[in-house]
Amino acid sequence: MEKDFIVRTKNVDFFYGAFRALSDVTVDFEKNKVTALIGPSGCGKSTLLRLLNRMNDLIDGTRVEGEILLEGRNIYAPDVDPVEIRQRIGMVFQKPNPFPKSIYNNITYAPKLSGIVDSEEIEALVEESLRQAVLWDEVKDILTKSAMTLSGGQQQRLCIARALAMKPDVILMDEPSSALDPISTAKIEELIDTLKKHYTIIIVTHNMQQAARISEYTGFFYLGKLIEFNATEKIFTNPDVKQTEDYITGRFG
Amino acid sequence: MRSRYFKQRLFFGAVRLSALVITLALLGILAYILAHGFRAITWEFLTQSPTDSMTKGGIMPAIVGTLYLTVGAILVALPLGVVSAIFLTEYAKQGALSRIIRVGVNCLAGVPSVVFGLFGLGFFVVFLKFGSSILAGALTLGILILPTIIGAAEEALKAVPQTFREASLALGVSKWNTIFRIVLPSALPGILTGAILGVGRAAGETAPIMFTAAAFFTAVLPKSIFDEVMALPYHIYVLATAGTHIEETRPLQYGTVLVLIALVLGIDLIAIIMRSMFRRNKRW
Amino acid sequence: MKNRKHSLTKHTKEIAIRNLFGFFAFLSVLLFGLILVFLFREGLPLFKQISVTDFLFGTAWYPTYEPPEYGIWPLIVGSLAVTFFACLIAVPLGILSAVYIAEIAPGGIKEILKSVIELLAGLPSVVLGFFGMVIVGPWLQETFDLPTGLNIMNAAVMLAIMAIPTISSISEDALYAVPREFKEASYALGATKYETIIRVIIPAALSGISTAVILGMARAIGETMVVLMVAGGAAAIPESIFDAVRPMTASIAAEMGEAPFRSGHYHALFATGIVLFVITLAFNLIADYISNRFRETGSGTL
Repeated sequence: MEKDFIVRTKNVDFFYGAFRALSDVTVDFEKNKVTALIGPSGCGKSTLLRLLNRMNDLIDGTRVEGEILLEGRNIYAPDVDPVEIRQRIGMVFQKPNPFPKSIYNNITYAPKLSGIVDSEEIEALVEESLRQAVLWDEVKDILTKSAMTLSGGQQQRLCIARALAMKPDVILMDEPSSALDPISTAKIEELIDTLKKHYTIIIVTHNMQQAARISEYTGFFYLGKLIEFNATEKIFTNPDVKQTEDYITGRFG
Repeated sequence: MRSRYFKQRLFFGAVRLSALVITLALLGILAYILAHGFRAITWEFLTQSPTDSMTKGGIMPAIVGTLYLTVGAILVALPLGVVSAIFLTEYAKQGALSRIIRVGVNCLAGVPSVVFGLFGLGFFVVFLKFGSSILAGALTLGILILPTIIGAAEEALKAVPQTFREASLALGVSKWNTIFRIVLPSALPGILTGAILGVGRAAGETAPIMFTAAAFFTAVLPKSIFDEVMALPYHIYVLATAGTHIEETRPLQYGTVLVLIALVLGIDLIAIIMRSMFRRNKRW
Repeated sequence: MKNRKHSLTKHTKEIAIRNLFGFFAFLSVLLFGLILVFLFREGLPLFKQISVTDFLFGTAWYPTYEPPEYGIWPLIVGSLAVTFFACLIAVPLGILSAVYIAEIAPGGIKEILKSVIELLAGLPSVVLGFFGMVIVGPWLQETFDLPTGLNIMNAAVMLAIMAIPTISSISEDALYAVPREFKEASYALGATKYETIIRVIIPAALSGISTAVILGMARAIGETMVVLMVAGGAAAIPESIFDAVRPMTASIAAEMGEAPFRSGHYHALFATGIVLFVITLAFNLIADYISNRFRETGSGTL
């Protein structure tokens, strides 16, 4: 069967001012799979993630070269509105960052602004998103409470639910469990496993066990370069590149 | 070793003394005005117009006039200030334009109040033919407090965590909606505190309204924004310097000063309390 | 999602909002320019009557005599005199109180003192002028047996009260900005708290403190109501600090009401406004320059 790649990057270079943070990154992300990006800190994995939904646009003095294609369309083409890209490619951040609003309004905020006005549709969307994020049972009676009163793990699942409410095609996760305790982390990992039926997930993690547990594909980055991209099983058992093996086995200097 | 500590004691003594002097200066002024002014404060004083060539009666027109001018000033300065601050913090953090704007705001902040008065006279009263009026006075005061409002709003906007902006933008919400629905509401308490401090400042200013709005005496309350008004600070100045019965009207003067102080410091106090409450309740 | 609006129109809207906001933000610059324009428009016609030198350095200010004389040198000296003596009082008090708040005061007292200074800054100048008239004036007159208590001394004291909050709060920020490591290094070398403050903290904060002093001076020189009410009003060059003076701001405020519209007197008052404007602008630009330099070089200027 032909593989269906939803996001592809072609020879991407990225610069912060004069500093080259990524060089010549070409990678294809398969639809409805989980792809993990690993590597030591500062290797460019988070930078690539933030390029995929144009979040790096927010930083002054940056420059992108090469192409990033979402279903064949270059998202950096001049006529593309980054807002539209971000509606299709959602993002979950390292630190849970709910808005200082009620749980309910955290979910409805973006869908309402994108033009959904029907209140029944909104209600349904809230329940559906929270159920998908396995948070519904915990919060269904306190929807009007401030999201700030939730625990860290609950806040992170709320942030996932909030992203799901926009019905994106792709969800980017930037070390989503690094600020959480082990139980919350396990819940997030379970969640990722169920979400991949409907969504393409690209996750940056510093935790190699996590990458091995949850992903189908893994990309290893070092010094701004994609060193190896392969099936996760292959990367963690028999990587093609020596550097990858050194990193995975902890022999990395 | 002993002489080292002796110097330290001497220095600390001087430092504590300076703090004490400043505190006593404030308390002394306030206590003196309160002691002499409170007897003048009666219901009639607050609700009647001056009578007998301003040697008797109340100060109601001046209170009303000050309220009009102050509200007018904030109506001018708040929207303009918030929009400017949004531009400076959200749209153009760096670059030539924002640098020019910042220099302009700083320069505007340094202009002496009497020069604002001259400008108001030359521009609003004469050139735009508003005459000496509430409109001219409120616009002049509004420009005077604009830098204060911009500064406060900028600080409040900068205090909003960057993660809020990122979270909203990552959901595919436009920049404008992110600013309007997430950033601005989060910054609102800080902006309001700044606005209140601006109101206090505007209420107490005299020089900018002397040639642009303030009337020596009006028997009736203003009917339109093109009317002149009495104002508390100017009324104090007039009673204390220009009357023929300066000694006789002292009680009225103390009373008016007390009302102005209560108004201005009351407003400042509200802002100070609000600010410390928001700081304590901040959820991020 | 079906209801997504067309992206291009959205994009244009964003740009339109940005430009609109930019325009309003630029209004501050325009207003500043407009102030300049109108000061000059109403002030420059004076120089058809007299030369700039006669205006600035003429020692006779008789604007309503026939023929009138428009020499503002006594007014300039008056402004400088009250500002100078006000600073003699306000600079030590302002800086020392800032040191107290930033380095010495225990938590509770610190908060109270900060509020005191904030409230002092909020006192309307007309109130201070009034206080100077009814309390300080008579007291000075009696104590020193003077013909009038409304003089340089009185104005200096009241102006100092106006300038202290400016000097204190900006100095305090500068003191806070001194990195902790400096202090710790000094203590670790066995220096006392006093020595640390005098030799390490204050020198490190010096440019910020200079900014504070300059802005305090600018505040004092531009202040109107206090000097109008308590400086005495004599447009003559003073010989002692118990002489009455007529600073520029006081002259403008007192006489504008009576100057016939677009008469020589009216233009002379606007021209005085220009001088005042230039002086305060210079002060502010110097302060701006110092604080910008400070920001660039950071703590390395010790």
